[in-house]
Amino acid sequence: MNALQALAVVLPLVYAAAAASFALGRDERARWALRVALCLHALDFVVRAVKVGHFPVTDLWTTVSASAFATAALWALVARNAEHTGSGGLVLGLVGALQLVASSSVPLTPLPRAGGMGPLQITHVATSCVALAALFLSGLHGVLWLTLFRSIRARRFSPFLERLPNLDTLAKMTRRAALLGFLGLTVGLNVGIGLAHAESSPRFTYRHPEVLLSLALWAHFGVVAFSQKIPGLGARRASWAAAFGLAAALLSLVLVMLPHSFHGAA
Amino acid sequence: MDARLTVILVGISHRTAPIALRERYVVSVADLPATLGSLRALEGVEECFVLSTCNRTEVLLVGPRGRDLVSAARAQLFRNLEASSTYSFEDVPAIIHAFRVAGGLDSVVLGESEVLAQIKRGVEAAACAGTLGPVLRPLLQQALHVGKRVRAETQIGQGSLSVAKIGVDLAARIFGTFEDERALVVGAGETGLLVAQHLRDRQIGQLTLANRTPERAVEAAHALGADACGLDVLAERIARADLVVACVEAGSPPIEARHFDRRAVSRRDKPLLVLDLSVPRAVAADVARVSPNILVYDLDDLQRIVRENERGRSEAVDGTTAILVAEIHKYLTSRTYSAFTPVIADLRRRFEEIRESTLDAHAGARSDPREVQLAHELTKRLLDAALEQMKAGARSVRSEEALQIEYRRFLDNL
Repeated sequence: MNALQALAVVLPLVYAAAAASFALGRDERARWALRVALCLHALDFVVRAVKVGHFPVTDLWTTVSASAFATAALWALVARNAEHTGSGGLVLGLVGALQLVASSSVPLTPLPRAGGMGPLQITHVATSCVALAALFLSGLHGVLWLTLFRSIRARRFSPFLERLPNLDTLAKMTRRAALLGFLGLTVGLNVGIGLAHAESSPRFTYRHPEVLLSLALWAHFGVVAFSQKIPGLGARRASWAAAFGLAAALLSLVLVMLPHSFHGAA
Repeated sequence: MDARLTVILVGISHRTAPIALRERYVVSVADLPATLGSLRALEGVEECFVLSTCNRTEVLLVGPRGRDLVSAARAQLFRNLEASSTYSFEDVPAIIHAFRVAGGLDSVVLGESEVLAQIKRGVEAAACAGTLGPVLRPLLQQALHVGKRVRAETQIGQGSLSVAKIGVDLAARIFGTFEDERALVVGAGETGLLVAQHLRDRQIGQLTLANRTPERAVEAAHALGADACGLDVLAERIARADLVVACVEAGSPPIEARHFDRRAVSRRDKPLLVLDLSVPRAVAADVARVSPNILVYDLDDLQRIVRENERGRSEAVDGTTAILVAEIHKYLTSRTYSAFTPVIADLRRRFEEIRESTLDAHAGARSDPREVQLAHELTKRLLDAALEQMKAGARSVRSEEALQIEYRRFLDNL
């Protein structure tokens, strides 16, 4: 078994251990598990980068893995900022599931990409992964806000909801994650458009569904991020928006990875 | 206590009726004397006591055994209410229930201490109305003692839970911390002040007390470092609040949908939480329909939350059983013993008569002082021996073991 094979097996398990510890309220143990998972994940990318000789995120499954990594890292940042780890069980559980899918599909003997990857391409891919992770986090916290709100309205409190942060904190986490996603998309989109022009990609147009959807997502999450400043757009509406944005972000990822995508042709 | 008399308890509580029913049968402090008077006027009723809280309205009666005082009390206090919505107990079960209520074991919030103050107020009202007697007075005194003991000696009293605290805890699920929040407490009564104190303890950003009589609000607000206002500016104050808590007494004007600006509420960033801790309810039902951003909770809703949070408290409840059984046994013993009081007085009189007549027959006026002293000592010792026998008899009327079984049976039937 080589290092990549071992990491492919270990990574989902460590994320799952962190998720279980957060869910059980053993925060100190969970933090250690998360640190270990992030270090091992970073090591996985380093090993891949050494093997291919360039930035290792080149296909659907490494993108999924990178997004899982970014989601876990951003969640740690947002949770630290909000001083609440109540959503850790759910978020890291989903990260573990994503990584499990990625680990079972990602090539264990990665092949280098023809022409390698330049700094602009690396910036585009990295910021897009960060943006996708942030949008995922924002949408997830939006869903949690709506779930908790509905349960409060219905006077139902389960042990799972008991562990969640309060509505105010969830709203803050939704908006902060959306802001990170908005910033990531701002950089990723601009660099990507610049790259498409520079490479004269034959399929790239501003009317292409991928571009339109990405621009719509950028505007959408900008609105979510600054919703507190927008009259009439309270936490409830912002959470609905973030939840819909999550669905759109996932659709965007699927479009990017389809064979007729200009990303594929690029 | 006269053996022909018995204690009867009739009531309605959160266990048997929703707040929509309970609020119709609340007896306000102002109405207590009249209610006590009308109960005392019932044929056969020798003593009576009324307890009316946000969780219950119940009456303790003393009357002759075999007379249907339950129906009479129901007809008097719970007119037009189905019998299934009320409960009634006689003799030992009535005492068990009264002690459990005082111990906060029958409260929505297990171990809450407000009920003790409410019992004290009820006792004062009944004493003023002259409806307490040799049965209920010691019974209620012992109930208050039980309430204090249960809270002091078990974990029930830990954390000093109350409906007010549960309400504030619910608000914390929405707001987290209260530093940036603005609260409006409507009603400057006991519960209102308790809520205000809890909010102040949690560093609420801005606190306003609204009351029907603004002077009372100003006085209470001054002590809490809060703002005060009358109910005439309610809509204006609600518009500025993140949390509205209604703790008003019967007769106050209700909080209605017209007090809420639909557009402003819908545009709020955070939901507006409205807690109604009043009985009868003070927040109109249509308030919740003004906007999805308004969350309205009444006492029954808080009760559901409390029930879900009560896991793990059963050990603390178990710890109260021994105290309750011991106190009920002590009360029944003293009750039985007090029934002997006329017999004891008679016995003492007869012993003294026999002593004096014997001394007279023996030596007349020329009695030796040492013989007189000896006769007195002998009489006293014989009387003490007889009283000891009576006390032992009173204690053995119901053993603690038998009471424990009766108590368990009572709990099983709840």
